[in-house]
Amino acid sequence: MSQPSALQASTIQEEAMPLPIGERLVRNQCITPQQLQEALAQQSGTSVNKEALIGKKLIEMGYISHPALLECLFHQLTRERIAYQLDRQASTIIRFNHVEKTLDGRKVLDNLNLEIPANKITAIIGISGGGKSVTLKHMVGLMKPDQGEVWVGDQPVSKLSGRQLNEVRRRFSMLFQEGALFDSLNVTDNVAFPLREKTRLSEQEILQRVETCLQEVNLAGMGHKFPDELSGGMKKRAALARALVTQPEIILLDEPTAGLDPIIENAIHYLICDTYMRTRYTIVCISHAVPAIFDWCHHVVVLHRGRVLASGPSLDIRHSTDPTIKQFISGALDGPIQVI
Amino acid sequence: MIPLIQHIGRYTIEFVLETGRMFLFLFTVIALAVRPPYRIHNLLKQIHFIGIRSLFVIVLTAIFAGMVLALQGYYTLTRFGAEGMLGPAVALSIIRELGPVLSGLMVTGRAGSALAAELGIMRIREQVDALEVMGISSLQYLVVPRILAGLISLPILTVIFDVIGILGGYLIAVQLLEMSSGVYFSGIESAVVMRDITTGLIKAVSFGLIVTWICTFKGYHAKRGAEGVSQATTSAVVLSSVLILVCDYFITSVLL
Repeated sequence: MSQPSALQASTIQEEAMPLPIGERLVRNQCITPQQLQEALAQQSGTSVNKEALIGKKLIEMGYISHPALLECLFHQLTRERIAYQLDRQASTIIRFNHVEKTLDGRKVLDNLNLEIPANKITAIIGISGGGKSVTLKHMVGLMKPDQGEVWVGDQPVSKLSGRQLNEVRRRFSMLFQEGALFDSLNVTDNVAFPLREKTRLSEQEILQRVETCLQEVNLAGMGHKFPDELSGGMKKRAALARALVTQPEIILLDEPTAGLDPIIENAIHYLICDTYMRTRYTIVCISHAVPAIFDWCHHVVVLHRGRVLASGPSLDIRHSTDPTIKQFISGALDGPIQVI
Repeated sequence: MIPLIQHIGRYTIEFVLETGRMFLFLFTVIALAVRPPYRIHNLLKQIHFIGIRSLFVIVLTAIFAGMVLALQGYYTLTRFGAEGMLGPAVALSIIRELGPVLSGLMVTGRAGSALAAELGIMRIREQVDALEVMGISSLQYLVVPRILAGLISLPILTVIFDVIGILGGYLIAVQLLEMSSGVYFSGIESAVVMRDITTGLIKAVSFGLIVTWICTFKGYHAKRGAEGVSQATTSAVVLSSVLILVCDYFITSVLL
């Protein structure tokens, strides 16, 4: 991809300014200002809910189709990705300093130095067994490094335990590979679980928030179903709803599209994009959906043999000349990574 | 010779490490049990699972244990002309030994294996990690209510076992062998003292702790997929059963 001119760059950066979804849709001429006003007037609930669900309302009123809304959000994300490529401005929210971890006699993380930018979507990619999931578990204190430090903001999460660690964990939520939904609870109770356990909200407020989250992930009306009655994609969406319901600062996604068909995979990517656009949370996502993932994230980290092979804006990594990265993206059998 | 010594050394170290981990697990759970939040609903749910849902198997075991004890006891005691001692023999055997031991073994088979498997599956499906990420202590949420439920349920089940077992003996002694019911019950009344009952209850509480402690420990630390869960469940049941019998001997020798 050729570098844009200074004028193009300033236009891109201006267009990439984060805006509320409604205003963004008006600006992109997907809807008229009058339609937005009408939709806002008809919205019930708090101002936060109004903003979060304005897209749904516009769809309900027939002013925009769901695919068109998601397409618009995707284009906005693309603009923001290009702007990030140009200015590379983002504060660091998670930092790994010389982290080493050995599991069952195998060095999984080998002097890992890593920075995750705040309020961006970061993808961690790499071949299986490269230490991606272990890295994610270190971020949230599920694993402690043998050596080195993991920092979340100004907190050394690798040295915390008990109440202090729980305070840091309040900033996180995580979507596990298999969803990790509790089998004995239905979808509503699964999503409500962290609110019932960790907040003092009334049952009515909890159910209202759960309903909003289920609508956001397109699972409205599915609350009574149990995890074993859901398809793979629905399980992931229910788990995403549970991750969103606590309104965290950082969301960790461990292979959110693994084992799903291409359409559901695309739907999950749109959902992540939609979530990011509405909330601006920091999202860290492990993915094997290469090269598709480059279109959905600002920043990419390539992990290989427990080390960072490359890290930077997604376009930089996509066009990397490193033979290992090229092989990983192309999926070629011939190259520095020998699997057969 | 050297490989043999190496094997013995390795297994000894593993045994000591595992024992240490088990006691550390127990002490952590005890510390968490006295710390809020107290999840009464979870505790009641576990009492229902471990206690109430074990009731049928306990009643069935108790009635047949009492019946066979009466039948065997009658023919043994007849040889010495001491049939009148059948009531006390059945009651003391059940209250002091068979009640707590068989209740413990039945709960291990029915509820203990399920506890280990449930926690093992939660572990391999990352549900335990999910709790931790939410800032909820998985030990406090999952293990504490199960161990407390074991401590509460086992003594109650043992008392039920004792009563049903004695009634089972009564059925055989009075209905089949035509002994006088007065002789059967008066013998029990004069022979059984409070110390016998407390000994049985102390055993029941200890076995309740052993079953839930071992089974939750094994399940909580299960790894490597379905095979790991199956191994955890098997070793939980075997170890709990063996420990029940070993502890039974030591408690009996101390309290006798």
